Amino acid sequence: MQTKKATFASIALAGLLAVSSAATACSSTGSGSAEPAATAAVAKGLPGDCASEQVFCIGLVTDVGKIDDKSFNQAAWQGAAAAAATADGHAEYIETVDPKDYAKNIQSFLDRKADVVVTVGFAIGDATATAAKANPGVHFIGVDAFQATTIPNLTGLVFNEDKAGFMAGALAGLLTRTNVVAAVLGTDKIPPVVAFGKGWENGARFTNPKVKVLTTYHPGGLDVAFNDPTWGAQTAKQALDNTADVIFGAGGKTGNGALLEVARQQGAYCVGVDSDQWETVPGARGCLVTSAEKDIEDGVATLIGQIRDGSITGGNAFGQVGLAPFHDFEEKVPAAVRTKIEGIVRDVASGKIPTGVN
Amino acid sequence: MAGSLVAAFAAYGIWGFRATAVLGFAVRSSTPLALAAMCGILCERTGVIDIGIEGQMLLGAFAGFFGAAAFGVVAGVFAAVAVGALVGAFLALCAVTWRVDQIIAGAVINIAAAGFTSFLYRPGRVIGSLPAWRIPLLGDLPLLGPVLFRAQPLTYLTVVVVIGLQVTLVRTPWGRRTTAVGEHPGAADTVGIDVARYRYGNVVAGGALAGLAGALLSVEITGSFDRGMTAGRGFLALAIVIMGRWKPVAAWAAALFFGVLTGLVNQLNFGQVIDIPPQFVAMLPYATTIVVLAIFGTRVRPPAAAGRPYP
Amino acid sequence: MHLDRLRPALLPVVAVVVAMVIGALVVLAAGASPVAAATAIWVAAFSGTGAIAATLEKATPLVFAGLAVIVGVRAGLFNIGAQGQLLLGAITAAYAGYRLAGLPRAVHLPLCLAVGIVCGALPALLAGVLRATRGVHEVIVTIMLNTILVNLTDWLAGGPWMEQGQPVSRTPAIVGSARMDRVAGVPVGFLLAVAMAFGVWFVLDRTTFGFRLATVGANRNAAHYAGISVAGATVAAMTLSGALAGLGGAVESLGVVGRFEPGFNAGLGFDGITIALLARVSPRAVIPAAVLIGALRASSTQLQARARLAPEIVDVVLALALLLVAAPIILRWLLRLRPGSSPTEVHLTRGWGS
Repeated sequence: MQTKKATFASIALAGLLAVSSAATACSSTGSGSAEPAATAAVAKGLPGDCASEQVFCIGLVTDVGKIDDKSFNQAAWQGAAAAAATADGHAEYIETVDPKDYAKNIQSFLDRKADVVVTVGFAIGDATATAAKANPGVHFIGVDAFQATTIPNLTGLVFNEDKAGFMAGALAGLLTRTNVVAAVLGTDKIPPVVAFGKGWENGARFTNPKVKVLTTYHPGGLDVAFNDPTWGAQTAKQALDNTADVIFGAGGKTGNGALLEVARQQGAYCVGVDSDQWETVPGARGCLVTSAEKDIEDGVATLIGQIRDGSITGGNAFGQVGLAPFHDFEEKVPAAVRTKIEGIVRDVASGKIPTGVN
Repeated sequence: MAGSLVAAFAAYGIWGFRATAVLGFAVRSSTPLALAAMCGILCERTGVIDIGIEGQMLLGAFAGFFGAAAFGVVAGVFAAVAVGALVGAFLALCAVTWRVDQIIAGAVINIAAAGFTSFLYRPGRVIGSLPAWRIPLLGDLPLLGPVLFRAQPLTYLTVVVVIGLQVTLVRTPWGRRTTAVGEHPGAADTVGIDVARYRYGNVVAGGALAGLAGALLSVEITGSFDRGMTAGRGFLALAIVIMGRWKPVAAWAAALFFGVLTGLVNQLNFGQVIDIPPQFVAMLPYATTIVVLAIFGTRVRPPAAAGRPYP
Repeated sequence: MHLDRLRPALLPVVAVVVAMVIGALVVLAAGASPVAAATAIWVAAFSGTGAIAATLEKATPLVFAGLAVIVGVRAGLFNIGAQGQLLLGAITAAYAGYRLAGLPRAVHLPLCLAVGIVCGALPALLAGVLRATRGVHEVIVTIMLNTILVNLTDWLAGGPWMEQGQPVSRTPAIVGSARMDRVAGVPVGFLLAVAMAFGVWFVLDRTTFGFRLATVGANRNAAHYAGISVAGATVAAMTLSGALAGLGGAVESLGVVGRFEPGFNAGLGFDGITIALLARVSPRAVIPAAVLIGALRASSTQLQARARLAPEIVDVVLALALLLVAAPIILRWLLRLRPGSSPTEVHLTRGWGS
């Protein structure tokens, strides 16, 4: 009996090992070309080390989540890695697993004499401010962290998400044939998400007074609201069944699920968020007319450049917002619409057209 | 059944496409829950508690995605089923042969699945998803067409599985023996039923269904994989098993009920009919479930031997 | 060497060691250095008072959540809703912590803890009452309540109880008179958790009440015929379970986070299930189990910084350890031990507790 059990055990363990090694092989072949170059660079290890004084060292602490999230963590990291490459320096990241570790994760870079610390998300803002006050010799960049009070060595990289949402909504208002557009959003507890959504609504109404805007938020808590592509896809379908024909997916993986669903439907458009999702969600190319972009990557790289040449100031720096290129939809969007949108994008960016979102 | 059909058409008469949208959402969101619940039913009716459904689904979604990326979507579905069955075999090994506490074995599956899939996942792969099949004639029906007959293949398969399981559990010798093993393994043993074999078989089959539920998420619904994408559906399925009183069709009805409520939440948000915080709207399906159970809650009785090793 | 000569208490230790050895192989397979990983865990979790305090802070809510699960299990109930109860305890304690500013510390701090206890107990009480009077299964009710309470606390923290003048969804900071500090480098919350573990042990293993719960948990019918009120025991066990989870949430708010912020307590309640298993449903064993997992969790920063390892490796090791604790037979096979009588196996549940 015992030997029989032992045999069972060996079969089971061998099976498990086989599965895990197969999965490893599978995923390592899967990591090929489309993987962001920046991640690959770290895996290989950039030259130099933070500990030595000569090396310009950038440390990045993510918001809760992974560095390859196809969203703000990844964009910020790509900016940091690009800046490190330009400076012939070194960049490293730490993924935050538990928000209670924010301070500890920042400290680990300070212990290793980082020159710049980039933190991502506004939840990490308090920990960043505390660390900045205690370490005046290090410059901090807080992505998405609005600074109510100015700390000289802390720059918040913030965006007018309402403007990006407004531009995308204005395009949707012009593109819709049914006069119904929809937004499938992460959670109303994250201000940038709400700003995107409200901007979208107002933008659509700006170009199309008859338009009906369907807006819904994920019903779960913060831990799943951005990570439920299934709900995103099914809710996008429900919006399509409500005759919506332009759908805005804004909310991490949840929003990506919405884009992927719309891509399967004939004749409907979808609009991505944050970065140009033509690149980050290739599966959505069938419907992705544009993305309401906030250029975190460029913003982070620019600010790090300013740190190096000494021109940086504390307080808030506003990053670029805008619409991503139309890519394959260049021809499908009528020329008149393109011209009109170019004007709206310009005027919204300059503030001539108010978004109506405070 | 007929009553709900009448109600659905009444709703369609009043609200038109809005009813279609809500019911369509209900059907689509109920399928992964229903399949996962079938796993729970198969396991528990044979006397093994499986709280590892969430993990089995996640591994199924993972295997389905990478299988699809490597060999196409159909291969992805088979990969998901195979991995689900393999994890089911592991659960059976723990529960039947090793006599490990079944809740522990399930928890191990959940933790390991979350850890392994997150550790191994690398983004960058793109897959298609299973195409929708429009059934001739039926697909053109008002309301029922868009809600039921223009679905993707695994949705149809779910219906077949649920009804098939209901029939076989009630009407075949296999079903009666399964029930006997789950209710009274000692008696089953004395009449010559191989308890261990039944438990192995059903738990492996259940695992295959949970894997299929995972494939639904990655290969059919989204065409993508993300870490933790099951988002608690495996746990919700446990509740649905109990709400459906361990009966396949009743469990599916419970999943549909839940889907209708969640779809209504979206519809209320869409219409901005009510100006209350979305968090309260979001609580609606969950609170309603508790209220309904509190009102109608007669004592549900699980299979008597669920959770207990035999001999 | 016979495994059964190992005292049952040693089994988890051996299991953890073996899990770590297998974990080291996984680390090696992932192309990282096991030595660096081990150093990282050591440095992060145990080197110096700061690291130890960090480990104990991570362990504290795990102790409470583990105890909450154990109390239910003893009575044959599966409280899968510790997460929701913990959240409610956390936010209400934080509310009392900033709202009742001006009270003396000796009143304020205990009051905040009491608020957390009561509010954590309430949803569990509801589940217990529904189970006892209406026969509605506690697993359904507590799963439903988890989502309801996540939404409720998200709404409170971003609505009526939100800190004004800033955009983040969170309550104001708790005032000093309700903060729990460290005593000689040890977080007060952890001391409270240890005391609570011994308290729960005493109640469950040394009192008539504990015996009644265990009888109900073992066999409801027998308990009924023995004159024990099954309904009373069910409600009492659920309420106590929720109270412990709520206290865990309160300690998190008052001792670690300093306010309530959505997302800061994610997953703690579910960890309680893991802890209860690893501790083999023994209240006192919850302490080392929680410290172990706390140490692994505390090392996620250093694992990345020193060993360039994805933090999920912790979950992989944890799953292995759990499995080995649960299935001694695997250990015996792995260690090539001669067959002997099986060490006592863990039994968490007796079915769905019908």
